Amino acid sequence: MQEALNADGVVVQFGGLTAVNRVSLKLGKGEIQGLIGPNGAGKTTLFNALTGYVRLHQGSVKLFGDDITHLPPYARARRGLGRTFQIERPFEELTVLENALIPAFLKTERRQQAEARAWQVLEQVGLADRAQQPSADLNLARRRRLELAKALALEPRVLFLDELMAGLNPPALADMIAFVRGLSETGLAILMVEHIMKAIVELCDHVIVLAFGEKISEGTPEAVTADPRVIEAYLGGAGAAGEESPGSADEPTNETGES
Amino acid sequence: MRTSLIALVLLALAALYPLAFPHLLSIAIFFLILAGWATAWDILGGWTGQTSLGHAAFVGLGSYTLAILANRYGLAPWWGALSGMALAALLAWIWGKLTFKLRGPYFTLSTIAIAEILRLVAIEEKWLTQGAEGVFIFSLEQPFGFDLFDRQVEYYAALLYLVLVLLLVGWLVQGKFGYQMRAVREDEEAAQAAGINPERVKLIAFMLSGALTALGAAIYAVFLSYLEPHDIFFLPLSVQIALTAIIGGRGTLFGPLTGALLLVGAGEVFRNTFAEANLLIYGILIVLVVLFLPRGLIGAWRYRAIRRRYARSAQR
Repeated sequence: MQEALNADGVVVQFGGLTAVNRVSLKLGKGEIQGLIGPNGAGKTTLFNALTGYVRLHQGSVKLFGDDITHLPPYARARRGLGRTFQIERPFEELTVLENALIPAFLKTERRQQAEARAWQVLEQVGLADRAQQPSADLNLARRRRLELAKALALEPRVLFLDELMAGLNPPALADMIAFVRGLSETGLAILMVEHIMKAIVELCDHVIVLAFGEKISEGTPEAVTADPRVIEAYLGGAGAAGEESPGSADEPTNETGES
Repeated sequence: MRTSLIALVLLALAALYPLAFPHLLSIAIFFLILAGWATAWDILGGWTGQTSLGHAAFVGLGSYTLAILANRYGLAPWWGALSGMALAALLAWIWGKLTFKLRGPYFTLSTIAIAEILRLVAIEEKWLTQGAEGVFIFSLEQPFGFDLFDRQVEYYAALLYLVLVLLLVGWLVQGKFGYQMRAVREDEEAAQAAGINPERVKLIAFMLSGALTALGAAIYAVFLSYLEPHDIFFLPLSVQIALTAIIGGRGTLFGPLTGALLLVGAGEVFRNTFAEANLLIYGILIVLVVLFLPRGLIGAWRYRAIRRRYARSAQR
């Protein structure tokens, strides 16, 4: 398996607080990995460190063997690292088509080509009929798909999805899961932060569990959900193990424990 | 198609204007230059979303460069204009490098300082600018026998300037760079995710905006033929340029032009009709537009048009 992304010993600190502590991960081509953990575990921070939005204090990040540790986000995007944002960020004053046009311009100077690419990704995510709508008017599910379209318009080789599934209703969720699976079948390497265990279980080959900035467990979805350390991290407190697994709740939080 | 037809008709009317109103040229020249400045301002302020309140710096740089080069070295005004543009671009580059780390209102505040610094330089460095006394442009080369101090010649120069700026911006905003500017305006982090370097986009937009403002200032210098630091590097001039674009509609091609028409037109009407009260009315007008049409006149119209077009297509 060719290595798409290799993060080694990533440390991120905010002031005296260590938000991510020596986390390593390897992502292969065509592989989907999940990143889970209770709220505040450092998932989004790790994401931002890997995509260049937050500075690393230690460790390195390699994309297809090239060191990208010190590159700014736009340079990582140009090298094929696409991402979506947890809170969708459409370019609100622009139409759906124009939103997709902006990343589509990355690979070409010509408007015609960029527009063709933009239409292509809108077709792909099922927003073509909304192309001329102001993006500020889209509902949640469609805003998510627009986020995805914008990331895909870059023609990425590695894709980071930050809670793409949260808040979707069951049919939209099923659509999204099928869509992401389709993407990985084209060889795209995908790393997803997700609270929706259904998506994690159905999609991921490998899951990494973070708690308090550290990797506490990894393995297949079945293995990590059975891991007592994971259950403890989610439910907080001894004795909680076995009562409820994180897989049974859509939005597990670390506040559920009574300890 | 319809837009270009309207534009052609307006252009033809504008070309005939000096024949119809030979005694109302000064106000028209000022209108054309202001419209050009506001359109140039909008490259940075509207399309890229970085509000500048220091564009008088480029006006001053452009006009003083032409005047000093003409007076001291007998340099032809077009060389003076080009030099002014180059200096303006250089100033924008330096200023951008220093301040684009700042966001939103902080960048805007810093731009006020640019014009203020240049104003002090113009007052203090008497060997170069003759200080507060000001510079008088007494003679200029005559291209093809045209006297540049003739109001009609100035009118057509200003018209040409405005058309040039509009064509350039119109071309720019429908291409790659135009969409990069919009992306930076809307959300810098999301723009980065699309592979866009926001600092580079802002720098280029600032340099273009500054250079085009300086070009208009070269015509303005000849039009005034007398430059005084207090008038040229004047904060209210910076504000007027910005307001013109904001009221007309920032981030729209014809918004700044519309704003100039409204502000210069209303300014004239109110001055004649209401005498002292004209500034009050002028101010109220600005407040009304900003409160009720935050996208500006053309901006509001365009946004509605997009929604209507979409609603119609969705019904089919």
